[in-house]
Amino acid sequence: MRIVGWLAMVAAVAMLSVGAASAQGSSVGPDVVVRTWYRLMLELVRHTPTMSPPVSSRAMGYVGVAAYETVAGGSDAMTSLAGQLNALDALPARDPGAVYDEAVALQAVLSASVASFFSNTGPTGQRAMTALATRFGDKVAVGVPPDVIARSAAYGQAVAAHINQWSQDDGGARVENMGFPFDYTPKEGPQSWVPTSLVRQQQAPLLPYWGTNRPFVMPAGTACPLPAPPAYSEDPTSEFYAQAMEVVTAKATITDEQKAIARFWSDDPMLSPTPPGHWMSIALQILERDGADLATHVDVMARIGMAMSDAFIGCWHSKFEYDLLRPVTYIRRVIDPAWEPLLITPPFPEYPSGHSTQSGAAATVLTALYGERYGFTDATHADDGLQARRYDSFWHAAEEAGISRLYGGIHFRAAIERGLDQGRCIGAYVNRLQTVAQ
Amino acid sequence: MRAALALLTCLSGFAASAQTTPKFAEETGSAGLVATYSGEWEEMVGGGVATFDCSGDMRPEVLVAGGVGPATLWRNESPVGGVLAFTSVTSGLEMTKVTGAYPLDIDSDGITDVVLLRVGENLVMRGLGACRFEPANGLWAFEGGDGWSTAFAAMWEKGAAFPTLAVGNYIDRTEEAFPWGSCTDNWLHRGGVAGFAAPLPLTPSFCALSMLFTDWNRSGTPSLRVSNDREYYKGGQEQLWDIQPGAAPRLYTEADGWARLRIWGMGIASHDVTGDGYPDYFLTSMADSKFQTLKPDTKGPAYADLAWVRGITAHRPYTGGDLRPSTGWHAQFEDVNNDGLTDLFVAKGNVWEMPDFAMDDPNNLLVAGGPDGRFVEMGDVAGVASMQAGRGAALTDLNLDGLVDLIVVNRNSPVQVWRNVTPDAGAWVQVRLAQPAPNVDAIGAWIEVRVGDAVQRREITSGGGHVSGGLGWWHFGLGQATSAEVRVLWPDGTEGPWQPVAGNAFYRLERGVEPQVAAP
Repeated sequence: MRIVGWLAMVAAVAMLSVGAASAQGSSVGPDVVVRTWYRLMLELVRHTPTMSPPVSSRAMGYVGVAAYETVAGGSDAMTSLAGQLNALDALPARDPGAVYDEAVALQAVLSASVASFFSNTGPTGQRAMTALATRFGDKVAVGVPPDVIARSAAYGQAVAAHINQWSQDDGGARVENMGFPFDYTPKEGPQSWVPTSLVRQQQAPLLPYWGTNRPFVMPAGTACPLPAPPAYSEDPTSEFYAQAMEVVTAKATITDEQKAIARFWSDDPMLSPTPPGHWMSIALQILERDGADLATHVDVMARIGMAMSDAFIGCWHSKFEYDLLRPVTYIRRVIDPAWEPLLITPPFPEYPSGHSTQSGAAATVLTALYGERYGFTDATHADDGLQARRYDSFWHAAEEAGISRLYGGIHFRAAIERGLDQGRCIGAYVNRLQTVAQ
Repeated sequence: MRAALALLTCLSGFAASAQTTPKFAEETGSAGLVATYSGEWEEMVGGGVATFDCSGDMRPEVLVAGGVGPATLWRNESPVGGVLAFTSVTSGLEMTKVTGAYPLDIDSDGITDVVLLRVGENLVMRGLGACRFEPANGLWAFEGGDGWSTAFAAMWEKGAAFPTLAVGNYIDRTEEAFPWGSCTDNWLHRGGVAGFAAPLPLTPSFCALSMLFTDWNRSGTPSLRVSNDREYYKGGQEQLWDIQPGAAPRLYTEADGWARLRIWGMGIASHDVTGDGYPDYFLTSMADSKFQTLKPDTKGPAYADLAWVRGITAHRPYTGGDLRPSTGWHAQFEDVNNDGLTDLFVAKGNVWEMPDFAMDDPNNLLVAGGPDGRFVEMGDVAGVASMQAGRGAALTDLNLDGLVDLIVVNRNSPVQVWRNVTPDAGAWVQVRLAQPAPNVDAIGAWIEVRVGDAVQRREITSGGGHVSGGLGWWHFGLGQATSAEVRVLWPDGTEGPWQPVAGNAFYRLERGVEPQVAAP
């Protein structure tokens, strides 16, 4: 089923049940509100050019915290993230003894937060956000007393404003030219990254300073350092040459299954929800399948969002620390001048693999929440005509995401394996957070 | 690059020793053409213009899409070589929700008809003469649908009296919160004896913003190129349909050599720029443009992108200080300085307050003949670097002085017109084709113009650009030459003879007849 169709069904079900609503609560479940806005976010990521993978992961991190704090503010079983996350102060509190509606509060915080973090989206995205904020918002409010609506919406808006203010000085709030610097001086040496794209905008690397941003959980972008990649060499007996030859061989002998894997995890910006959106989509599918409660919804989405965002900060720090060239550059220079990778080579340095780092972080977080042997089906790209894939565990998916970059010809093995390691380290920081009491 | 170098050799007989800088005088205020393509979400794309002579005086009239307002037809009363002058005409074309328009003699009666693309029912408008038109959907069994139509192309299939029309459709406009992935089917209206067959969905469809029937491999049968907007499709890409008479359309695939390309496709311009005998294609998009040339020695539709090496990426504003990426719409190849090298115009403009893209986005005028076969940006020095939100456009000789003039339709601001006043321009020749019905204007023909060993080739098409098209005189610059030879490769494959023509003149080229001089 198309995701759009799925959402329409969710909304229709919610609307049809209005007549049976109690006088004290929204007829639209708060979990439906959460999933609906996340589904819109995944579309906005795809359709907002600023939303490269690092930028979209940041937005998902903040929106996730905003939704979590909104719910945690009314729950004795949930611990606020204030004081646990870098520079996050205590959030606005609810009025003790007053009645709040969780769906209305979430509708308010999510509509305000998404509008803020996706303000760069185009006219259709703006129209969609308005439609969800108004028409869907009207449905959410049906059956809720006016004073509760007003109080709940004000609370959600206050949380959104607090989170938005907190985000302003993290280093990632302002992105120009879609993240490509107008001026960039390439580093010298044969091992250094050089542009690989014929797109003029991409002659400078994407977001070279993203690694200095303030993370959510880990202390800094340097918190999970990596060893240097294999030493650059054009000697056919060298490790570097061998890793390049592995990429060449992979392309030459690629199977249909490997090609499908490469394309499934390609997650190209502006053509997909991007890699962090892919893992958010996995989490959403699991939450819906399991009929998870509201606390689990916001806890899982907040943790995944923060893990993705911190993963891109850590990964980007390493990428620009080592500034390694891409396989296509080396292979054409040393092995085969006419070589072409299967996938579009991303416009930034190679080591480590961003998809691997963030997939390792996601697998670490989700495994801690759901266990080592948690099977699931991933239909993220059903609308694009890509068949759903089945995984035995989150690490099964993460490792496939990693190796997909070798099949696609855009990463060497070292970047993949060490990227997964880096993600494991970053995810562990998120796993230490105190959120929902078990 | 090999093809590019071949061009320099091939066309050197035309070119002057140095690039002639084109000059345009804006006459928006004085020309009397006062029109605006206006609207909001359903008018964020579209904004076309059609040029064709419906008054019989050789001058092209101008039809402007109005968006929420009515389309307007403007009679061209410009004196030869003089300032541009238009007056409003009540024509029957004053329909609302028009996104774009293309002229075409659908019934081959010698009177140009018009196809109106709309948000709502598309209309084929039968020309009655004297710039009067009437709806002919019923007469010709044309099913107009109720889509959001944003692309068009036409050709005559072998044996058909009526043309085959391709109509590109955009997203499902009833989808509000989740419109992405809702691209509606493009339609193929195949021509029959007296009208059109029921439309055939061109599935899959991916939100087309430009279409063009073009004989990419010179097989004698045009294929349908479709440029699609990746903003809205899922699982989509640029498309090329093989359309053989009597057979179901077939998409070219990777197995044929067609490489997956996913852009914000908004406009197609075609011309044999590289001089290899095959059409090259310029594709407008956002933040980047593509210039595709057929790879040498390929049997399938495999293309190399030469936008970078030819200097026509047109990726961000070159003047005005706004450094954000550009948004390209209508593109058209024409020789604006008559040096014998075709130049490239691109209409630019933000979609609608998209902060990732330039708001002050000047139109491009990329002039051929620079070092190493590169085009050189001259939009600012030529005077056409408008910062309005450009959409459709037309480059055509409005005052019959041999210089290609310019009209640009802007979204929510007035249409702009420029008169080409280039000093020291080269000589020129303009020709109009005629053949017995059907297809009296010989859509699908190729015109070749030769000076010495240098040959310019032009495929006669109906479609492409951004919802804008023209029908009438086909213009060639001759550079320093005072005469040339011309021949026509007619749509049925018949090769006409090389025939001498003098420079700075209009000729009617009728099949089997000597070129006839036409005087304004």
